[in-house]
Amino acid sequence: MGVIKKRFGATDGWIQMPDGSNHYIFGFCEITGVPENQIFEFRGKATLLAPLLEVYEGDEVVLTLTNLGFPDRPDLDDTHTIHWHGFPDQIPFWDGVPEASISVPVGRDFEYFYKPLDPGTYIYHCHFEPVEHIQMGMVGPLIVRPSLEKNPAYSNKKFAFNNVATEYQREAILFLTELDARPHSLVANVQEFEWTEYKPQYWLINGRSYPDTVKAHDDPQLPLQPFSAKIQANEGEKVLLRIVNLGFENHNIQITGNHFYVIGQDAKEIRGRNGEDLSYQSDTIFVAPGQTVDAILTASRKGKYVLYNRSHYKNTVAGVSTGGMITEFDVI
Amino acid sequence: MISIDLWVKEGYLSTPDGNSIYFWGFSEGEAAPAQLPGPRIICKQGEEVTVNLTNTLPEPVSLCFPGQTGVTVNGQPVQPQYVNGKLVSFTNHALIGETITYTFTAEYAGTFLYESGTNPHKQVLMGLYGGIVIHPADYDANMDKTAYGSDTDTAYDREYLLIVGEIDPDFHNAVKQGKPYSIKNYKPRYWTINGRCAPDTMLKNDIDYLPHQPYGSMIMCQPDEKVLIRYINAGVGSHPLHPHGNHTRVIALDGRLLRNGEFDRSYQRFTVSVNPGQTYDQIFQWKGLNYSSQNPIPTTIPNLRNMGIGDAGWTLWSGSPYLGEKADIPQSIQSLNEFGEYYFMLHSHSEPQLTNWGEFPGGLMTMIAIYSSLNENVGVL
Repeated sequence: MGVIKKRFGATDGWIQMPDGSNHYIFGFCEITGVPENQIFEFRGKATLLAPLLEVYEGDEVVLTLTNLGFPDRPDLDDTHTIHWHGFPDQIPFWDGVPEASISVPVGRDFEYFYKPLDPGTYIYHCHFEPVEHIQMGMVGPLIVRPSLEKNPAYSNKKFAFNNVATEYQREAILFLTELDARPHSLVANVQEFEWTEYKPQYWLINGRSYPDTVKAHDDPQLPLQPFSAKIQANEGEKVLLRIVNLGFENHNIQITGNHFYVIGQDAKEIRGRNGEDLSYQSDTIFVAPGQTVDAILTASRKGKYVLYNRSHYKNTVAGVSTGGMITEFDVI
Repeated sequence: MISIDLWVKEGYLSTPDGNSIYFWGFSEGEAAPAQLPGPRIICKQGEEVTVNLTNTLPEPVSLCFPGQTGVTVNGQPVQPQYVNGKLVSFTNHALIGETITYTFTAEYAGTFLYESGTNPHKQVLMGLYGGIVIHPADYDANMDKTAYGSDTDTAYDREYLLIVGEIDPDFHNAVKQGKPYSIKNYKPRYWTINGRCAPDTMLKNDIDYLPHQPYGSMIMCQPDEKVLIRYINAGVGSHPLHPHGNHTRVIALDGRLLRNGEFDRSYQRFTVSVNPGQTYDQIFQWKGLNYSSQNPIPTTIPNLRNMGIGDAGWTLWSGSPYLGEKADIPQSIQSLNEFGEYYFMLHSHSEPQLTNWGEFPGGLMTMIAIYSSLNENVGVL
């Protein structure tokens, strides 16, 4: 178990949708190890998703948040926080709720401390005016890996939980959000959005809309959207899907030619009070806002498969062309 | 046997942004004001429950008891009501000015809803709903309490009932003015817990300036205590409810224990999607990390003048990272903290529901307060 020291900056940026539209975002960027006199070079470089936070059960995590300000909204002096969503037994000091402890003003730092004790798929996000800061993009994936992987008997094997039955060979994060272009545009233009009018036009996996979802992590057209959602595996391999919903709508995910085997939800194995096995097979995964689901796909015969949202209007780019909450699964 | 007189009346709800919203609600007896949600019906498994419904509205009103069987009205089994072959009520209704008596036996322990069965797309949305809590047959308020009986592994120390719903003020205004309104245009602007929008949810019960919204939703407990949180969704939308501080253990759905014989199907979640008409019983427990000024936190405490505190105009923070301790909060900020207690937010993760007509903070949000010491009479239903 180690001590992990990370530093994230909070700032703004711009992302692109497949129809060529650009959208103003708030978000985080990683500035771990960046010399103090260079951190301001990261202003305006927030990414959607925010950087992956990946730790082991039992690690001690010190996460420093630095508020770098918004270069494209210099008048806006919002504070920020990091809320580790689902972290058990936290104290308010590090819970990131401004109404119940501290938030971080422009130009200031704050250290959050976590000692994750339970493996699973979590989320982190800013909790300052969360309807705005979450929709604007201050959301990121967080994986706690099980200590079982450090057992020499299982070297080079991967498990979702501390249970050999949860072994997998590949994994993919499918982080679901929506984007309503109106608040992004209004915020960029120093205006207010009336949030009960929220009605998204873009549905995203990992901050991208299909066909961008299947492009490479480092696609040069998507510099601030660094997470591909393409899934790849060899025939017969098990792929752990870490499905997160940090949008504001319910989502129902389906895939062609394969079954989901649901083994975890909300960073817990699907088990009863006394370890009863409640895991199940499913062809549709329902995930509500603020939930995470861990499901295993066993790659069936070679070929290409499509993963999509069963609410088909979400499989569009602004309702016009095929896109949105779609990605591809390549079995090689 | 317990008996309650429910009067159906009109009244006005207050929202924290200064709005006043006409609604229909139940009151306990003739003299009391209409309230949202209706008066709680608290009873024991096996008990006979009698509800005398008096209708003062200009249209018929009935009561449905989802999850209860064998309901009678004036001694006869309840039946749907038709006028000229058209269904007008799911069960027998009280005509204008009439009083009728419903009776049922509380067969199962658990958390249930009661609501209007007449034009429910109008009357339930106008506020004609309330909660029923049935304690198990072996329940003794002074002994080890359980949600579902002594052999069900559902022990708890305190219990709270959170009934969630939505309000579309245009709809309420249309009903008030007798104007046509197409319910397919229903668009909530407010979201409520126990009839109140945040931050009013965090106030105590029976606040004098909220005469129609008597129930607070602040959950209060001590570390390690088992807190039974009973959710009811009386609205028409889904509400993904997320408590900070810890997962909850979901022990029952719709008043039915999640257990098949020896097979305990209860499970832990950090977000429970409570859908229309559902009830979820769950146990929350916060154990903490044992930090204190003797066992200090491993990070530095910054100069608070450099930090963001109380952006909403108030803070619930004590100024200290430690439970039961208070420290200096910058003077310009109002701290509502009493004894150094901890606060964890409990809220809908469909975040537009965290606003009052678009303004954060508001809506479907409350707090869980962890006190180092708390009177045992707090959190009793």
